[in-house]
Amino acid sequence: MILVRAVARRLATAAVVLWAAATAAYLALLLAPGDTVDNIIGDGPDTPVIRAQIIAEWRLDRPEVVQYLDYLRRALLGDLGRSYLLQRPVGDVLGEHLPATVTLAVAAALIGVVLALVVALLTAGRRPLLRRGASAGELVLVSTPGFLIGIVLLNVFSFQLGWFPVAGGQSVAALVLPAVTLALPIAGVLAQVLRDGLERALEEPFVVTARSRGIRERAVVARHALRHALLPAITLVGWLSGILLGGTVITEQVFGRPGLGQVTLQAVTAGDMPVVLAVVLLSAAVYVAVSTLADLSYLLVDPRLRRSGT
Amino acid sequence: MRRTRRPFRRLLLTTTAVLALTACAPVEPVPISGEAGRPVTGGTLTWAVETEPITFNPHQYAQAKARLLVWNSFEALLTHDDKGGYLPWLATGWQASADGMTYTVKLRTDVTFHDGERFDAAAVKANFDQLLAPSYAPTVAAVQLKNLKSVEVVDPATVRLHLTAPDVLILDFLSSPQGAQVSPKSLRQAANLKAGGVDVVGTGPFILSAYTPGQQVVYRRNPAYQWAPANAGHTGPAYLDEVVYRFLKESSVRVGALTSGQVQLIEGVPATDQELITASPQLALHRSLNSGSAYSYYLNVGHAPFDDLRVRQAFRHAVDVDAVLQAVYRGTATRAWSVVGPTSPLYDKGYEGRFGFDAAKANQLLDEAGWTARDGEGFRTKDGRRLTVRLVQSAPYVRDRRDILAQAVQAAVKQSAGIDLKVSVVDQGTALQAIADNQYEVFDNSRADTDAGAALNLLLASTGAINRTNHRDPALDALLAKGQATGDQAERVKVYHEIQRVVLADQALVVPLYAPADQIAASRALGGVGFEPTAGVPAGAYGVWIAK
Repeated sequence: MILVRAVARRLATAAVVLWAAATAAYLALLLAPGDTVDNIIGDGPDTPVIRAQIIAEWRLDRPEVVQYLDYLRRALLGDLGRSYLLQRPVGDVLGEHLPATVTLAVAAALIGVVLALVVALLTAGRRPLLRRGASAGELVLVSTPGFLIGIVLLNVFSFQLGWFPVAGGQSVAALVLPAVTLALPIAGVLAQVLRDGLERALEEPFVVTARSRGIRERAVVARHALRHALLPAITLVGWLSGILLGGTVITEQVFGRPGLGQVTLQAVTAGDMPVVLAVVLLSAAVYVAVSTLADLSYLLVDPRLRRSGT
Repeated sequence: MRRTRRPFRRLLLTTTAVLALTACAPVEPVPISGEAGRPVTGGTLTWAVETEPITFNPHQYAQAKARLLVWNSFEALLTHDDKGGYLPWLATGWQASADGMTYTVKLRTDVTFHDGERFDAAAVKANFDQLLAPSYAPTVAAVQLKNLKSVEVVDPATVRLHLTAPDVLILDFLSSPQGAQVSPKSLRQAANLKAGGVDVVGTGPFILSAYTPGQQVVYRRNPAYQWAPANAGHTGPAYLDEVVYRFLKESSVRVGALTSGQVQLIEGVPATDQELITASPQLALHRSLNSGSAYSYYLNVGHAPFDDLRVRQAFRHAVDVDAVLQAVYRGTATRAWSVVGPTSPLYDKGYEGRFGFDAAKANQLLDEAGWTARDGEGFRTKDGRRLTVRLVQSAPYVRDRRDILAQAVQAAVKQSAGIDLKVSVVDQGTALQAIADNQYEVFDNSRADTDAGAALNLLLASTGAINRTNHRDPALDALLAKGQATGDQAERVKVYHEIQRVVLADQALVVPLYAPADQIAASRALGGVGFEPTAGVPAGAYGVWIAK
């Protein structure tokens, strides 16, 4: 019963978040200068006759409130509308691009997390020189624009060494460079947070106890300290999903990959409202799902929460 | 009424001598890359392009950068030669009536669409009907086809276009992507007709076989193809088995992909990357000027300070265009002297060297116009108001580093004449808002229309759809109308010289800056790489071969 109520509360919150996101995006687009007709016309010829036809085609003569309610109604029924710019159903557009973005984001997240773990475990509490070197490297990665990282990686590993193709569809080889580009800044932040957590945990009394039992240092770090260090890192998972989504815009552009990033960029610059709204809805849904998973994983990592949890 | 007029029209038709066949002397394309030897059949070409088309339906064509894809799978009734004339393509010839109100087009009878549909007069009519359908192609209906009254199927191999006013630009339309012929079956059945795709087919030498949005589009050879126009360089099916166009938006990535051999051909090579290409013995760089209007600043005469002719003249004299172009494009840009692009047959060469940089004259004109005082920052003022003019650029449409160019012009006019050019790069909505509110003094534009007259209609006519100068002059309108109605080329050229005189000499409405160009860089193992005549954009893949 408690579980059912918890799930129901989660779902209701998710629905509110989705609605709020869609509404906020709708309002933002509405308040932006220039109306939909302007955006569809672009820099092409602009006459009253052309305008009238565009208005008729997209039924833009209805009051904004009616258009908004109609949009919500159709979205509830699973119809995300048609793209003004691409003249195709938004569902099709997202469906074509989603797999590429998911592949890229998952690969980047995995690489980022593994890299961060390895670096943090190797450098936490170690010789100051090694630690400082790693820390500086992380800072550089975090502060470098993804665009630049991508271009540098391409230049070295694709144009000079020829190890990976610049763009080659969905093959694994073509995924490596974009995934690493996206993963490096993530690894940079996560490694800093993890190392900080590790070092703090290593100074806790329980570590002294563990050491006194004669456990090897490696096991102390991996079995005891890491659990503590993971908690703040998991909190960053929500941030991570945002970074991944934003990062794909640049990464996909540089590597000529299909994906939601490119679709979003194009839709925002062209004022393609149906696509923008759909992307916002999708990102909100992903965010809700990811934070739910993060909450659940606290329970996995921290036994104390399990005991005190309802 | 119609019945009584028809014999008269027929009489006119027989007496007109505008026979297509006389204009049909075969034009040999200039082979650009010579090392590739004789043409060979076979192979797959990978070509990196800058722009992913927003639509694959040629009727909806609006991106000059996507033109190089259109003619792979679609074809028009006519095509441009390299002298400002037309050649038959899916047509065999055409006749204009003496009054310029009727065009009779004879069609080929051996053409089939990729889906097996026959190409005939009914198909042509179906295309026109679709173009005029409500909300299908509002721009085409309102601009290119504004003078079209009806399309008549005379027999399966003949269509007749009836116009409401004489309009020579109808031939330009018949040669344009928007006038390309789409299979009537596609028009009836395509899932997303306006978006195009594999189910919207034409008659061209390649068949669109796969489109992966955001990544690439693949064309394979049409083995049945036998109807290339006379200037295509060869006949029969295309040489290449397959062409893969990769969408690589970043120029440095395109160049890297080419230099590392991952693609054999790229389009869009910015000035900063051209040295990389020319330095490589395996690569060749080609460049061609585009058709249409030059990239120019249009001055808004609707309010101060450009309502004063002297201030407009002064602004023009204040820009050292050569120095500005050199700084921004490192000598790769071609200076424009007229609003009409230099490759157009309508271009008046007489303006080359006129109205150039002359700081002394600019300052003298501004003194005469009363902008005599200077403020603390060195800008000219009049009645306490600074001589400020605003250029609003719409970020999504800024290309060729035109934002940087604007900064260079800004510095130039400040230094030479104390003019304050305020440049803002904003989103499309804000830019259109500024225009709607008349809150700008400078408007920048270039158009890639194959007939410069079509561009001038939009930019200069009182009711022109892109008239941003707010200059409304019945005499200029009359000239533009005359230019559109005049069939005789020499006569027409005179009209457009007259228009350029009004715009450049009399009114100083326009500051021409540079002639837009396209660049392609290719592996020297490729043959038949070139540009489309007249349009000056990269040609399709029909003539390209890969040396073995």
